[in-house]
This record gives sequence, C-alpha cells and structure tokens, in this order.
Amino acid sequence: MALEIKNISRTFEGSKKETLRDISLTIEKGEFVCIVGPSGCGKSTLLNLIAGLDTPTGGEICLDGRKISGPGADRVVMFQEHALFPWLNVLENVKFGMKMMKLSEKEQNSRAEHYLKLVKLWEFKNYRIHEISGGMRQRTALARALCLDGPVLLMDEPFSALDKQTTNKLRADLERIWEETGKTIVFVTHSVEEAVFLANRIVVLSDNPGCIKDVFQVDLPRPRHNDAVEFLEVRHKILTCVEREVEKFAKEEYDH
Amino acid sequence: MQKKSMTIKRLCSSLLFLALLVLVWQAVYSLGTGPLGWWKPYALPSPLGVVRSLGKMAGNGTLLQASACSLRRVLIGFAISLVIGTALGLLVSSSGYFNRNLKPLLNGIQSLPSVCWVPFAILWFGLGEASILFVIVIGSTFSVSLAIENAIRTVPPIYVKAAQTMGAGKLSLYGRVIWPAALPGVLAGLKQSWSFAWRALMSGEVMSAYVGLGYTLMSGRDMADINQVTAVMLVIILVGVLVDKLVFSNLEKHALKKRGLSS
Repeated sequence: MALEIKNISRTFEGSKKETLRDISLTIEKGEFVCIVGPSGCGKSTLLNLIAGLDTPTGGEICLDGRKISGPGADRVVMFQEHALFPWLNVLENVKFGMKMMKLSEKEQNSRAEHYLKLVKLWEFKNYRIHEISGGMRQRTALARALCLDGPVLLMDEPFSALDKQTTNKLRADLERIWEETGKTIVFVTHSVEEAVFLANRIVVLSDNPGCIKDVFQVDLPRPRHNDAVEFLEVRHKILTCVEREVEKFAKEEYDH
Repeated sequence: MQKKSMTIKRLCSSLLFLALLVLVWQAVYSLGTGPLGWWKPYALPSPLGVVRSLGKMAGNGTLLQASACSLRRVLIGFAISLVIGTALGLLVSSSGYFNRNLKPLLNGIQSLPSVCWVPFAILWFGLGEASILFVIVIGSTFSVSLAIENAIRTVPPIYVKAAQTMGAGKLSLYGRVIWPAALPGVLAGLKQSWSFAWRALMSGEVMSAYVGLGYTLMSGRDMADINQVTAVMLVIILVGVLVDKLVFSNLEKHALKKRGLSS
C-alpha cells in the first residue's frame, strides 16, 4: 500500500462545475499507473494534488499512511515543460534537488554521474540548458528527478512537446529505469498509445465533472511493441472508452 | 570581419550625424545672435564657447572635482536605496497584504518628482551633504523596490513549483530560485532606478551644494555664463549615459547571455 487517494474533489473558485469529483484510487508500491482522459478533464489537477502543489476541496491523499500536506522530495514532479533552471548548467541542475536534501558533495557527485550516464548526458554535463535539445532537456529533468531517489515519481505529459522518435526513445528509457529502480510512477498523458506502452494500470478520467470512468489492468509482456496484435486490442479498448468520453463532451457543448 | 566593418560604418554615420548637429547649432548661433538679432549673445551657448568652457573647467580641475564629488554622492545614495528598496521590494512581493496595500502607495510616491522632496530635505537636514543624500535616497528607493517586485512577480511559476517538489524550503526558494530567475529583470529595472538617482542628485545639488556638477551648473547661472551651464549639462548627460552603458547594460547583457536569452 503506497499511495492512497481517498474521495478527492477539487472545485476552483468562480467556477460552478467540479474539476474533480470523488476520486478514489489506491496505487501500489512499484506500480506504473497512467492517467488518460479528454483534455481539460482534470488529469493535471489530480497530479498537482498528489504532488501537494494544490489542496483538495474534499477528501485526502496519503503516502504510506501519512497525509500529504505540501510538496516534497518524496514525490518529485516532472513537468510537461522541462522546468530546468537556465542560470545553471546540466550538472548543477541535476544536483539542485540533492543540494536541497543537504546530501554530501561526494554523494551528490556520484549520484549525478550515475543518473547522467543513465540518461546518456554525462558528456554534456557542463552545457547550459539553452545549448541542448528539447529531448536532452527532458532527459536532464528525468535525471534530476531520479537523483532524489524518492519512492514516487509524478510525470505530467513529460514527452508531449517532443518529436516522435525522441519520445519513443525516452519511453523505452523510462520503462528500463522503472524496471531497474522499482519506483511508483504516476504518469499523466493524453496519448492512449503511450499509456498502453508504459502502464500496469490505466485510469480513464471522464470530463465534467472529472471522475474515474474506468480502470484497465494491462498485463502485456515487456518490452511492448505497438504493432503487436495484443497491444492494438488493448489500445482499441481504451481508445473506445476515451473517445466515448470526448463525444459525450462534444455533444454537451453542442446542446448548450 | 563583416560584423566589425558594419560596426565601424555605423559609428562613422553616427559621428557624421553629430557633427552635422553641431554645425547646425553653430549656424543658428551665428545667425541668431548676429544678423537676425533674435538672441542676445549671452543668452545662447555656442559650440565653440562650450568647448572653451569645458577646456577651462578641465584645466583648473573643477570638472574632475565636481564629477568625482557628484559620483561619490550618488554612489552612496544609490547604495542606501538598494538596501532599503530591496527590503521594501521583498516585503511587497512576499506578502499579499502589503502587495495590495503598500504597492499602490509606492507607485504613487514614485511618480512624484524628487525635487518636491527638497523642502523636506532642507527642513530636516539643513543645507549640506545629508540633505542631498536624502533627496537621492527618496528619489530612487521606491523605483528600486518596484523593480524588484516586478522582476519577482514575473518569475515563471514553474521554476518555483519544480523547486518545491524537490524539497526546497522558503529560504532556498528565494536564494537559489527566485533571485537568480529574477536577476535579469532586476538589472533592467535598476537601470531606471539609477537614472532616477542621478536626476535626484541634480535636484539636491542645485539647491544646497557647495561642490559638485549641480553646483557648478548653478554657479554658471550666477555668473551668467551660459556656456558653462551648457558644458556642465553635457557632462551630466555623459556621466549618466556612461554609467548606464558601462555598468548596467553590461551586467544585464551578461546575465541574459548566461541564460541563453540573448543572441
């Protein structure tokens, strides 16, 4: 039992509709959970709540039995934009979180080296952020998050701004790293294919109000291939579920 | 090489423009005080007279002494402004209460020309150094605080969020994230604060100094020497621009370059 989301709801001031309503979900230790759903359904809001960057209007979220009351290094977030600091170079960026944890300089250097080599950026450690490509920036952000060695990794569409080849490469890297480290990963994405590629479990959110529509267990063997028949079957099943949601949403818009 | 020859070309055309301007000035002087009789000769400066006056003041050391004295004053005053202004800026940007209530006041006071503070300065500090410093400090402090507030407000929230999820506390957040993220904006804002300080210095010196550029300007007026007044004005412009370009523009350029924000 790792991450427990208990009857969470979130309503934003000035809007009548609930962004999230009564979300309950238990994420086991070491699980890879993907959250998918139509845009604007509150996927990112849910992730921000788990991160502690936002507070729910109802319900609570617990990590290992302790209620989450603010952001912390045990739940590092990797954002859609890399969120690296432009006044630091690659190595300094990766070491930032470890500095916050007050790790010894020696420990910082050895972890930074390990994870920068893992994401194949050790040669670029002295580069500034504006000197490296988008894919390298996201890999730097991934190394920065992994260095803290927290039990939970939260990812908010981390690859959505990248081209297809870079994305495929990073997905494979992430899968490998997850298998090696056994972290709990909560991964928000709008791409069903990405979810089927990565997840043990896929949570489909519905829109207006955002609540859990369905949960799919994905037991395909890894590494997964997105042209295998089984892969396509699962993808189709989930896509149908999500698309019905999008259609419903479009119809509502039209009716109003 | 291409770039260098371009710069030289630009520089030449700028110099040519200035030379033309001086030529027009001389023509207006010659015609206006001579055949046309629009001005009395003592009411209009001439390029030659200004150069002569500059040479005289440079020769007897007045210019250097006055500039050094003015610069010393403005540096002390601006340093005090930086301290008080930074504290005020941090207060206004870290608390919603002060942001709502104090920031409009700062904006209001900032729009007040610094010369308006001269009566207070003389009443409280008498005629002398302290009153001039007071005018400089009050003339630029609020601009500093607003520059800091503005720079901090425009820091992308994602930097703060990222740092928080990595466990940064309030102090690290300010020292290691918000401050370096805000630095280019702060420097850009301080450029303006500097020009406020420089102007305030002149307001102060014109009123109550015994040495300094402002005083030299006023002594030119008292001796009805319009060429000296103009010469000092030129020096005031020059010093103001030089500090702006050499200090602030360079610092800003450096900060932007480090962040990959300039070509």
